[in-house]
Amino acid sequence: MTERNVCVIAGGMSKWGVREGSQRDFFQEAAKACYQDNPQLNPKEIDGLLVASAYTERTSYQTHLAPLVAEYVGIRPKNICARVELLCASGSSAIILAFGMIKSGQADVVMVAGGEKLYTPQKWEVFYSELASVDHDWDAAQGLGLPPPVFAMVAKQHMKQFGTKKEHLGQISVKNRRNAAKNPKAQFQTPVTMDEVMSGRMIVDPLTLYDCCPITDGAAAVVLAVEEKAKDITDKPLVYVRGTGQASVNNMSANMPDWTTWEALKIAAAQAYKKSKVEPKEVDVAMTHDCFTISELIEMEDLGFCEKGEGGPFVESGQNDIGGIVPTNTDGGLLGCGHPFGGTGIRQAIEVTRQLRGDAIQQVAGAKIGLTHNLSGFIAAHTVLVYGKEVA
Amino acid sequence: MSTPGISVLEGKYMVTMDLFPQQSKEFNQMHPFYEYLKEGRFTTTRCKDCGAEPFPPRLLCPECYSTDMEWIDWPTVATVIEVTEEMVGVPLGFGKPPLVHALVDLQGKRTFFIRVINCKQGELKSGDRVKLAVFEVDPVPQEVGRDIVEIPRVFYAFEPEK
Repeated sequence: MTERNVCVIAGGMSKWGVREGSQRDFFQEAAKACYQDNPQLNPKEIDGLLVASAYTERTSYQTHLAPLVAEYVGIRPKNICARVELLCASGSSAIILAFGMIKSGQADVVMVAGGEKLYTPQKWEVFYSELASVDHDWDAAQGLGLPPPVFAMVAKQHMKQFGTKKEHLGQISVKNRRNAAKNPKAQFQTPVTMDEVMSGRMIVDPLTLYDCCPITDGAAAVVLAVEEKAKDITDKPLVYVRGTGQASVNNMSANMPDWTTWEALKIAAAQAYKKSKVEPKEVDVAMTHDCFTISELIEMEDLGFCEKGEGGPFVESGQNDIGGIVPTNTDGGLLGCGHPFGGTGIRQAIEVTRQLRGDAIQQVAGAKIGLTHNLSGFIAAHTVLVYGKEVA
Repeated sequence: MSTPGISVLEGKYMVTMDLFPQQSKEFNQMHPFYEYLKEGRFTTTRCKDCGAEPFPPRLLCPECYSTDMEWIDWPTVATVIEVTEEMVGVPLGFGKPPLVHALVDLQGKRTFFIRVINCKQGELKSGDRVKLAVFEVDPVPQEVGRDIVEIPRVFYAFEPEK
């Protein structure tokens, strides 16, 4: 049997931010941007749809979302039409499943669309709804809703164990906001200075305003296709999904094995690297889950881009910036683009696709291998995908 | 009790908006945890076959898959590893900022991420001891036949040991 390879052939997103409109509006905007990215794609040829959304029931009172999205974006899936939920990693989870569907011959052309309408007519509700994101009966009832306290605790311990400084965190914020300012779809369109970052108002010590990603409305969509069809549907360079990994070793905080080394991330990364036949040093560009500045710093370590505890100096010397060892979050990341949960993994796939096609806004010269990473819940699951200009 | 914007919900209880877990036997087989909590005891389940002490308490041992579990007492005093104070984003129902969170060592049983109450801003430090604090939360108006019966509930946090 011939190996079925899987390519990304189109991708686009709505404007992200504090948006006027509904969830279904944003899915239509994302689909339109995706169709415009590849005018050769006939949406009627899409035979599968996976929709990634975490809060659809809470903030839009809508379940059974995938057929609704299919109806609104004008496609008629015949092999799969379902929703995927893994909170902040819903989008990348759906891409893994679409990859598996195509690889196994269950589908040929699959759209993966993800997004959220998080702002409600009264803002208290989204904070309150966040209590559903962790173990509701145990962690949420301790007041652990929005994630900043968890990441504040991680940052405090990383600082204590490895001498990481607040300035290292600030540098990540400055970089990602600078990148976002060049991305018209990003929530934040203005860069911030180190002085502004360091004097930001306290959220949860040691995390201040610019250490935290915002609450965001928006959606994104990509289309994956089997290589044989992809060659017919696009004239742009093909971008392949090479390998994936997703791991969870705990859910409730009391079962977290280590707070500053994320075991599930190391497992997911090892799986993705092995399947994609790539080593960390070969990754040319990465989109990692910078929900907080400390997250990106630890991800540099646990994805193997630098040694454990060296995240601070790695960031300080610009190794995660354009021109460094692994330019990271070149489109602005979560800190700059915002984070409509189900949309984020798909946004990351879009930026990596553009980097490997060679048409990114901030192009990393000669990029051949790209990586995306999401974490979700109480740092409870990690998702890693490796993309390449060539198959694994 | 009226619900603005949704007049049909006047006086209705919504489980999907409840901060705290269901604690009655009709809705939670782990209800003994809360009954012991009312006695000031912090408990979990131990597997009679392999001795594992999983937390949260459960029906199925995650190590050997036995369902022969028994309730045991755990310590009610813990040592603070790290503390932080939430100034922005405190969810409704958890008071005014700061909401004090601590990572504590429950005498080697687990590292818990807990809420600290009865604690002033800046009061708690690494190395301090905290003890279990049990408090009442809103009862659940539960249908029993044609009647609505209020099921009392408690929950826990920790407080500085003075």
